[in-house]
Amino acid sequence: MGIVRFIIRRLIFMVVLVIGVSILIFFMINAIGNPIEILLAERPGISPEVIESVKQYYRLDRSLTEQYLSWLGNVLHLNFGNSIVYNQPVGSMLVTWGWETVKIQVLAILISLALAIFIGVTAATRQYSKIDFGVMSTALLGRSLPGFFLGILLILTFSYWLGIFPSYGAYSTRSPLMGSALLDSLWHMVLPVMMLTYFNTATLTLLIRSNMVDVLRMDFIMAARASGLSAGRVVYRHALKNAFIPALTYLAILFGLMLGTAPVTETVFTWPGLGFLYITAIQQLDYPVIMGENLIITLMLVIANLLTDIAYVFIDPRIRLE
Amino acid sequence: MTAIAPHNDQLLAVKKLRVHFFTGAGVVQAVDGVDFAVSPRETLGLVGESGSGKTISSLALLRLIPRPGKIIGGEIIFKHEDLIAKREEEMIKIRGKNIAMIFQNPAYSLNPIYSIGDQLGEILTWHEKLSRQAANERVAELLQLVGITDPFSRLRQFPHELSGGMKQRVCIARALLCSPPLVLADEPTTNLDVTIQAQILDLLQELKERFHMSMILVTHDMGVVARMADRITVMYAGRICETATARTIFENPRHPYTQALLATMPRVDHSYSDGKTRRLPVIPGRIPNLIEPPSGCRFHPRCPASDDECARILPELLSLEEGHWVSCIKAG
Ligand SMILES: Nc1ncnc2c1ncn2[C@@H]1O[C@H](COP(=O)(O)OP(=O)(O)OP(=O)(O)O)[C@@H](O)[C@H]1O
Ligand SMILES: [Mg+2]
Repeated sequence: MGIVRFIIRRLIFMVVLVIGVSILIFFMINAIGNPIEILLAERPGISPEVIESVKQYYRLDRSLTEQYLSWLGNVLHLNFGNSIVYNQPVGSMLVTWGWETVKIQVLAILISLALAIFIGVTAATRQYSKIDFGVMSTALLGRSLPGFFLGILLILTFSYWLGIFPSYGAYSTRSPLMGSALLDSLWHMVLPVMMLTYFNTATLTLLIRSNMVDVLRMDFIMAARASGLSAGRVVYRHALKNAFIPALTYLAILFGLMLGTAPVTETVFTWPGLGFLYITAIQQLDYPVIMGENLIITLMLVIANLLTDIAYVFIDPRIRLE
Repeated sequence: MTAIAPHNDQLLAVKKLRVHFFTGAGVVQAVDGVDFAVSPRETLGLVGESGSGKTISSLALLRLIPRPGKIIGGEIIFKHEDLIAKREEEMIKIRGKNIAMIFQNPAYSLNPIYSIGDQLGEILTWHEKLSRQAANERVAELLQLVGITDPFSRLRQFPHELSGGMKQRVCIARALLCSPPLVLADEPTTNLDVTIQAQILDLLQELKERFHMSMILVTHDMGVVARMADRITVMYAGRICETATARTIFENPRHPYTQALLATMPRVDHSYSDGKTRRLPVIPGRIPNLIEPPSGCRFHPRCPASDDECARILPELLSLEEGHWVSCIKAG
């Protein structure tokens, strides 16, 4: 099957999936309650007329099906509605808050990838040595730590005791670091990126190490060495590429689930990203924001999946699209 | 004691080679004082049961013993130089270029993610500093020589697109890329269909003559060495039992293990198929644990001719007659 047909079929599937997920989420939110009830609970004295006008404004007076269909129709015109809490267009909120999330997550994934390849290969080529043992135990420990714990540890060490990195926010509220907005932003990114990097690296390193150990045992590695290729060339050109193929799926999951891991990090560091926004939106049942974020999460997962499948075809000649 | 080849102009002489594996369970004495030699243009058959140390001895020649194994003693004199004393950077120039190896399992000895042209060409650009274009032409030329039709279009194919026999032909071509004077063929036909086995053996024979190479043919099949080898070295449990010309080994075997191996060969004048007539004999017992090998002669627990002395005395490899070496205290 041609790659173009494959992509088209997957895109159609993607649209169906995204709509399905949005229906589910929409009705689930409404099963929990609606924003008016929360508003009422907070400010009991509001007059019925005001409530009625708010309902009308947000079209909460229509039936659920009508509400959903009007949401879907607007989304097709790239209109995601207005946030009930912030009273801003959700579309532009997703972009500004999303950028904050993407910049720390992508940076962390890229750093993890480089670290994991280097550490994983080093450990695998020295299997059962002290280095290997140290790498394995650090990584296993890393994977079993609760997410927020490391974050708090980082804040305590680098903000509270050493006082060298900020513990919350993405920008300084008063003057930026050394008068440079870029430096100031990077300075704020250090701790959240460290936290994310540690978790990504732990899992990726274990994966690359164990795949490398398996591949290095294979006959074609011995054959490559017996042909006179240098150890470095055999390890990086012949073994690593084979060992990396199974890790590709995990990498795709990291990209696709970026917004899934974001809430913990962004809550710990009060980071103004989609993860933080998501938590507050759920607390307030700010359903246009929840719906918008879910749309993005689903899209990212499906796109990451599609890109992995395509990458497999280019890396592994044994794989055919079907 | 060490010149176990017919002439002085040996290409390779292995002397007292010892390879041990340092495992958690103990030290595996996989190869323990092995001598053999190869003359130019000669085929030496290295035979012995599974686990006798044939593959490890071959890998030792390339200094590619996998961990936790280590060469702990001996000499490997190749073209008058001791390979054991060489640095890794020097060994890289020996491997593939001077001594090449063909592996047992063609299905796994090609890298699945590189095309045939890529992985064979890489060796030429690496060793011979050829351009991509020149490397491709040389690879295609060799593919043609090993009997692969339409070689230029094969360059773009991947290993999984070839049959087992084809893969082994590609592996043979890979070994011959730099026209090495010595090729190690480790059970090159064991994993192939019977009909293809004969073709591959013929091909090896033809190429060996064409390239004026020497070959060490590792196998546990006496039929294969009978057909291919000029001389034969019989190994058992990490030691040499007997070395002689192929003819002497078949007509006048002196070591009880050689005799037992020969008895396991199918013979055309017997029928093994129906239950009434004799079955193909097997050597009773199993190859010993090499962490605590038997005292004295390692074969003595399975040897029909052994007595108390065999359990005490470690037999040395001694010359019985010109070019015929046996390590058995009973053969004298
Ligand atoms: N990685 C290893 N760890 C421990 N011992 C090993 C290892 N590799 C090989 N050995 C030991 O070396 C001995 C010789 O192995 P080798 O592979 O050379 O046998 P072989 O004669 O080639 O047998 P086969 O016909 O099965 O290929 C084995 O009996 C085994 O005990
Ligand atoms: Mg073997």
